[in-house]
Amino acid sequence: MRKSIFLLSMLLILGLVVGGCAAPAGPGAAPDQSAATEAAPAEAAPAGPFEPMSMAAENCDYGGLFKSIEAVDQMTVKFTLCQPDPAFPAKVAFSSFAINDADYLQATGGGGELIEKPNGTGPYKLVDWLRGDQIIFERNEEYWGEPAIPQTLVFRWSAESAQRLVELQAGTVDGIDNPGPDDFAVIEADPNLQLAKRSGTNIFYIGMNNTYPPFDNERVRQAFAMAIDRQRIVDNFYPAGSSVATQFMPPSIFGYTDGLTWYDYNPDEAKKILEEEGVLPGFKTTITYRDVVRGYLPNPGVVAQDIQAQLADIGVEAEIVVMESGAFLDAADRGEIAGFHMLGWGADYPDATNFLDFHFGKGASAQFGNGFPDIWDALNEGATKAKPEDRQPWYDKANELIKQHVPMIPVAHGGNGAAFKADVEGAYASDIGAEQFALMNPGGRDTFVWLQNGEPAGLYCADESDGEALRACEQVMQSLLAYEPGTGDVVASLATEWTANDELTEWVFKLREGVKFHNGATLDANDVVLSYVVQWDASHPLHVGRDGSFTYFPGLFGGFLNAPE
Amino acid sequence: MSVTAATAPASVEPIFNTKPRGLWSTAFRRLFRRRSAIIGMIILAALILVAIFAPVLATHDPTKSLIGIENVQKRQGPCIHWLGCPSDQPQHYFGLDGNVRDLYSRILFGARLSLLVGIVSVGFAIVIGAFLGAISGYMGGWTDNLIMGLMDIMLAFPSLILAIAIVTVLGPGLLNTLLAIGIVSIPVYARIMRSSVLAIKQQDYVMADRSIGVPSGRILFGNILPNALTPLIVQGTLGIAVAILDAAALSFLGLGAQPPTPEWGSMIGQERNQVFTAPHLIIFPGFALILTVLGFNLLGDGLRDALDVRQRS
Repeated sequence: MRKSIFLLSMLLILGLVVGGCAAPAGPGAAPDQSAATEAAPAEAAPAGPFEPMSMAAENCDYGGLFKSIEAVDQMTVKFTLCQPDPAFPAKVAFSSFAINDADYLQATGGGGELIEKPNGTGPYKLVDWLRGDQIIFERNEEYWGEPAIPQTLVFRWSAESAQRLVELQAGTVDGIDNPGPDDFAVIEADPNLQLAKRSGTNIFYIGMNNTYPPFDNERVRQAFAMAIDRQRIVDNFYPAGSSVATQFMPPSIFGYTDGLTWYDYNPDEAKKILEEEGVLPGFKTTITYRDVVRGYLPNPGVVAQDIQAQLADIGVEAEIVVMESGAFLDAADRGEIAGFHMLGWGADYPDATNFLDFHFGKGASAQFGNGFPDIWDALNEGATKAKPEDRQPWYDKANELIKQHVPMIPVAHGGNGAAFKADVEGAYASDIGAEQFALMNPGGRDTFVWLQNGEPAGLYCADESDGEALRACEQVMQSLLAYEPGTGDVVASLATEWTANDELTEWVFKLREGVKFHNGATLDANDVVLSYVVQWDASHPLHVGRDGSFTYFPGLFGGFLNAPE
Repeated sequence: MSVTAATAPASVEPIFNTKPRGLWSTAFRRLFRRRSAIIGMIILAALILVAIFAPVLATHDPTKSLIGIENVQKRQGPCIHWLGCPSDQPQHYFGLDGNVRDLYSRILFGARLSLLVGIVSVGFAIVIGAFLGAISGYMGGWTDNLIMGLMDIMLAFPSLILAIAIVTVLGPGLLNTLLAIGIVSIPVYARIMRSSVLAIKQQDYVMADRSIGVPSGRILFGNILPNALTPLIVQGTLGIAVAILDAAALSFLGLGAQPPTPEWGSMIGQERNQVFTAPHLIIFPGFALILTVLGFNLLGDGLRDALDVRQRS
């Protein structure tokens, strides 16, 4: 009797637990790919005569940048754009737009194996990914370029900066990412270690969503901009090499407005305005953040508490809410965070579009609530002019408008870096976080072990936006163009030359001959076309990915074709 | 030869010339004879005093950042003037934390929180657990099966994991932490209570009550419960130590007390990466935790020895 009751209640509890866990997974699943696919003449090109693929939008009303992509011949790809885009080469070089083998894309169905076992053209190929432990890469002996120096490359991860440093000091790893700000001095003083700094090509900001009162009131947002002492945050909680942000754009990237200043710190004035607007006394809000270390925010918990203390000084009671990283980004992008949120952005490629369009353009997420049409217009003008000197005034205007509307409070450009063993030759830290380990010689050892902050969520980087995943992808996958290590200039990669017409609307890329994918396939124009089309066309049967969001594509190229309503 | 008069033994002591010592006074005498229990009591008394007089003893506001107020660095080590720290520097007994707050003041105020968590959550668990266990033991039958089955299910989960699950559902915060730790401690007290009740139920005085028709409720709460409290008190004292540790663990993970509340576990959690560069931020709150848990454990052990009927000889 007792046994049966016990069993019964066990089953009941188990049922509840399973039911409770399974329910939220439903809506998060990948959207059903039942939409029409007639627009996709994507056929595998089997051995035999080359059948060029192409894809075209009927017109440009769908809001995106792409008009058509076509394989002109086996080694030539042509992109036709709806608007001029001077930053197009810089965007094409980004690792989210790496080229996959068309057959492999089809064999994997656009997801599944593709996420676990990337098949690229890069200097390393994946050997094994031990989930939760490490990723092992091995030198690609058939690489078209300079072969990688270390025979084996191992990626590991640890969220704790103290653990990363201990491992480096103990010699179990050759390089670590993002040492803790307090550890910079320790590393510089240690003759066995070397520090490679990154300049602050990033921005840490405190975001506000203008669909939630009182943040719907521009004067209130301006008052909060005056209430935060940014200098104090940078002085106390950022490593050397960081600077106080005066605008969203970092100083070294095109689109920065020289001489623009932010609101002066003035808590009394802020308090006065908030009282006039009826926000104070008695305003309670939240500060939401994710507890992960990024270059723009090396000390999230401490900074959150300092902002909380600063807000308390003007009488605003803020509760700190820590969210899981992925859930936080999703909630921010969907505009679900009612209070302040602490987030940042690091450069993917050195251009204003990467910062401003992605956050404040027409295709931007709902992170700051409803967009600002006057900012849209300025950004649109800036993005469609060909010459830098014609573009700059529009970005000056956009930066000025952002200051006026205060969708967020820019706080800091965080200096950060990577640390290596002293005997690693060619060690460097890329400003955009795209280190090429193939170029580093770990003191003659044949294995290079890299310890970064976190595990990649997936290695199909079309559908990843986290730098931890992108860096791993970049060892294996390559795009049409690449960024020169160190300078960030756009250089040839899978395409050897690229040309545009005078209006910058037609771009032709000549592919490199004889490039082999890790699975043995040869690179041709159809691989390029299909790699782009599966991202561009939301109704494509291969538009699957890991969670199907493909964040970067609409962020950089305006929007998806056939996007679901 | 004289006949000695049979003198009455004038000095014969009556057997019960003094009031017999009760269970509790015996227990206290035994308790005070144990050195470890005395040490435990001294630690706890000091802790309670610290908790009560924290605002008097503290040198700074525990949640106030000293940026711009004093000329100090974040994570600066301790500075005590009579130990040689130059007198032109501001004095901080335990140093400063990552947000430039006085660590000594934070630890003092942390004592309040830890004691509160320990006592409230264990109190909650004892009340519910004792009630369930008493009902279960006294009623028997399907009630017993049902309640003990539920308790067995709860015991099947590691307590900290279950507490994390509860806090995740309810949302982080001090109150929810109290509740979660209280809930996961219920089965222990319910089981102890049940076994005591089962034993006492068979005693003659309970049988006598029954035979003259005393209502069940009065037997249970009037006669059985008071006699079954002893093991509960011992377990409760030891349980407070466990509860404080669990709360610290939850706060370490960021699920317990929310910033800027000074809580020892969260103080360690927030500064865990500074273990090499600023060890005082880990050592002092960790030491405070150790001391508190030690105090409760010593007292609990002493109480167990003092109250254990079998050891009495």
